Amino acid sequence: MTRPGGFPQRNPAALLAAAAVAGLVLCAVACAPRPDAATRLSLWEQMDPAQQAVLARQLTEFERLHPGVTVETNHFETDKLRTQFQTAGLAGAGPDLVYGPSDQVGPFSIMGLILPLEGLVDPDTLKLFVEAARPGLSGHVYALADQVGNHLTLVYNKALVHEPATDTDLWLRQAKELTRDLDGDGRIDRYGIVMNLTEPFWLVPWLGGFGGWVMDEQGRPTLDTPAQTQALEFMRSIAQSGVIPPNCDYPLMDTLFKQGAAAYAVNGPWSWQSYRDAGIDVGLAVLPRISQSGLYPTPMTAALGYSMSVHVPPARRALVLELLTFLTSARKVAEVSRSLGALPSRIDVAAWPDIAGNAMLHTSWEQLRRGRPMPIVPEMRVIWDVMRTAYQQVLGGAMSPQQAPAWMQAQAVRKIEELRL
Amino acid sequence: MTRNRTALLFLLPALLVLVAVVAWPFAYNIGLSFTNLGLYTIKDGASFVGLRQYARIFREPELWNYLLRTVVWTAVNVFFHVTIGVTLALLLNKPYRGRGIYRALLILPWALPQYIAALSWRGMFNYRYGAVNLLLGKLGVPAVPWFGNEVAAFLAPTITNIWLGFPFMMVVALGGLQSIPQELYEAAELDGAGRWWRLRTITLPLLRPVLLPAVILGTIWTFNNLNVIWLVTNQGEPGDKTHILVTYVYKAAFNYYRYGYAAAFSVLIFFILMGLTWVSYRRSQRPTWA
Amino acid sequence: MSLRALRWHVLSVVLCLVTVYPVMQIFTISLRPSDTLYTTSLDPIPRGATFAAYRVMLLQRPFLLWMRNSLLVALATALLGVSLASTAAYALSRFRLPGKGAWLFAVLMTQMFPATMLLLPLYLLMRKVGLVNTLGGVVLAYTATALPFCIWTMKGYYDTIPRSLEEAALIDGMNELQAFRRVTLPLSAPALVITALFSFMAGWAEFIVARVLIVSRDIYTLPLGLESLASTFQTEWANYAAGSLLVAVPVVVLFLLLSRFLVGGLTLGGVKG
Repeated sequence: MTRPGGFPQRNPAALLAAAAVAGLVLCAVACAPRPDAATRLSLWEQMDPAQQAVLARQLTEFERLHPGVTVETNHFETDKLRTQFQTAGLAGAGPDLVYGPSDQVGPFSIMGLILPLEGLVDPDTLKLFVEAARPGLSGHVYALADQVGNHLTLVYNKALVHEPATDTDLWLRQAKELTRDLDGDGRIDRYGIVMNLTEPFWLVPWLGGFGGWVMDEQGRPTLDTPAQTQALEFMRSIAQSGVIPPNCDYPLMDTLFKQGAAAYAVNGPWSWQSYRDAGIDVGLAVLPRISQSGLYPTPMTAALGYSMSVHVPPARRALVLELLTFLTSARKVAEVSRSLGALPSRIDVAAWPDIAGNAMLHTSWEQLRRGRPMPIVPEMRVIWDVMRTAYQQVLGGAMSPQQAPAWMQAQAVRKIEELRL
Repeated sequence: MTRNRTALLFLLPALLVLVAVVAWPFAYNIGLSFTNLGLYTIKDGASFVGLRQYARIFREPELWNYLLRTVVWTAVNVFFHVTIGVTLALLLNKPYRGRGIYRALLILPWALPQYIAALSWRGMFNYRYGAVNLLLGKLGVPAVPWFGNEVAAFLAPTITNIWLGFPFMMVVALGGLQSIPQELYEAAELDGAGRWWRLRTITLPLLRPVLLPAVILGTIWTFNNLNVIWLVTNQGEPGDKTHILVTYVYKAAFNYYRYGYAAAFSVLIFFILMGLTWVSYRRSQRPTWA
Repeated sequence: MSLRALRWHVLSVVLCLVTVYPVMQIFTISLRPSDTLYTTSLDPIPRGATFAAYRVMLLQRPFLLWMRNSLLVALATALLGVSLASTAAYALSRFRLPGKGAWLFAVLMTQMFPATMLLLPLYLLMRKVGLVNTLGGVVLAYTATALPFCIWTMKGYYDTIPRSLEEAALIDGMNELQAFRRVTLPLSAPALVITALFSFMAGWAEFIVARVLIVSRDIYTLPLGLESLASTFQTEWANYAAGSLLVAVPVVVLFLLLSRFLVGGLTLGGVKG
């Protein structure tokens, strides 16, 4: 019987045996235990590439000042950082320091994965940080930030917009004029505004601008308010007016603005430099005051900072603490601020002449002033999920802005209850 | 009984690996499903709550939607994977020049990292700028709002996953075609049998034993496939309406920290799969399996 | 060229175009000078196209280190997968074991549990035996993932080989192991290829388990290395795309090498019956 395919007359069993042995040998080689230096510190972060470069420089300096100590960094995307840290922390492992947005502090501290810092850091130093830069719960401080902000701001292309609008009616009129079909093929080539229509982070400023907010002082959701309806109606009307590309999400917003195909964008400090690098003459302005309510939109503000893991062995704690205070020292905070255009977390640094005199930072500061801090309690995640669903459904036409708030509130209350089960 | 001992010797190494890696995590999860491990109980320790998590699962309003969607997702994907894979294998099995290149190109979806392939497809489904709508436009079909409504948002990851999955079936089918003795075809041709007859009576039945593992396991993998839907619909757009069972479990565990609940849900998924597989396994029993 | 062959060529070309188009998209992303994920035009070659991303990936990032680690892991998985599965499947195909159907089904069952919830206990387990943060631990996990499919496929293939061939060998004085080596294995080349390729892939492009088990950057595998380029909003898309295409190259090469044994062209000598 002939069958197609097969080995020529060679001994395949010898090959198989060799394969098994080789596999085991490779395994053994790969299993070589790693030297666990007592002086090897680890840091997990979610920084953008620009900040990673700054961090690398800072760590080199730290290693120079402490011979025999190495700091290893691992980079993760923000959400993966949270899940990874959770998994590792629950298993009793993980990095010594973790860097991320202040809202990760809530769940981490409740799960008992990070240490309170107010007993470890000198109180006089702590006082130098703005309140947002030392996020915490129940009276404890769980992270020290090297920058504050993370706030959505009005970004515009100076080649297309000469005078940014100061109120929303004007803004939308400008946007309509700028939305054009440039080559006459029947499809719009330039949009007035690009904004993320899928993430509720972009809805929240308008919610605050109509007088509402996501939760109250006790952390209970306050989603069923007239302000919520108004904010949703506002977003829906912009989305339907044609000045924003349909289903605009973050990558699309980014692409269009970088190509000069959008006049205005609403985006945060992490993106501004990349727009400049793409060759756009970037201008910043405060989000325009809402004509209907007379209030300014209130984007959420947060801080990005370092927390210390609860699993750091006592022998290493002093050194890890030193790294933390080094990375949040005045000089380092200033370096971050200058290199990234981020707002400094310390008031002493904010007073330095070159920082205080920076025009772009000034606009950023003006927007931050009008923002509201992002709640860091774990319930916020539930609220985000609930708002995301409603936001997408309202913009998609599946839910009305009148029905959505009650739906959101009911869902949020139920799911928050489930967190405690 | 040296024969049985020999048999066990052959079997043991593989079994050891499987037991070592899978058995304990499995048992851990079963144990976890009886506790209330969650955000507020992690620090001070969770407590035993019996079947409460399971009871809660059955009170989840969307449970049946998730299950239905998972079944449809699995059935559609596996159907197209097998059909396309077998067709291509038959095509590539014929001797003609240049088929080596075609084979190399057709294996690319399997060779590429899933993450960027899924994101690239998500971009292609973009309403205004995506290649899919632009192509449809050239054919005179109006643009589809892929992530704007529930059905289209389900089709998008399905199409993506079909693209990602057919090369695997193609390779398995190619290998399976080699197990069919040439004499059978020669004899059939001599008897004057046509191509379709040969395909239906010789090829497909003899392809079954080799294809069956791929189909069964393909079904299991597709059922539990988290990545593609998560990435293409960006976590369940629009508005959580594209969740299947496993994406919901992921959300419960990692977004809401409900570890006990997620463990119970996973155990349930396991039993559902086991039931479905058992039924189809029994129905496919042939003498060669005994 | 005959009309028949022309038909096959046309069909193949069309199917290849459909399959390759998304890959072209990724290639286009890798050529774009600014890191943008979406296109606004259908041009395969973007404005200002540059191969800078490939240069960066190969020279400025530890891409070759990642590749070395991935090759180590994938090859080890392939070798272990082939050797363990081919023997286990032989036992399940040829011997009358008590509860054989149950063994087969049990092997299958290991795949049914959603991977998400297995990660944490897997991590705890690996920590306990000291294999966390080693490539060996990862190989072990990948082998366990690949084995069910490999065992079932090999068994299915063995079932198409008549037992009479081995019995003839046994009558000639060989023992089981020799019969396996000299008779069965050579005839199972296509299945071995599938098993090898599949196990290799199980170890090459896997990300989730590697992410949990590996922490030290010097043992990052390729998927982990690529992931380290991703940030929430500012991913280095050009580099990422370039890296992804480079990751696909060894797989295609391996497939071309192995497909000789997968498809016809070589007939077996000496086994006529």
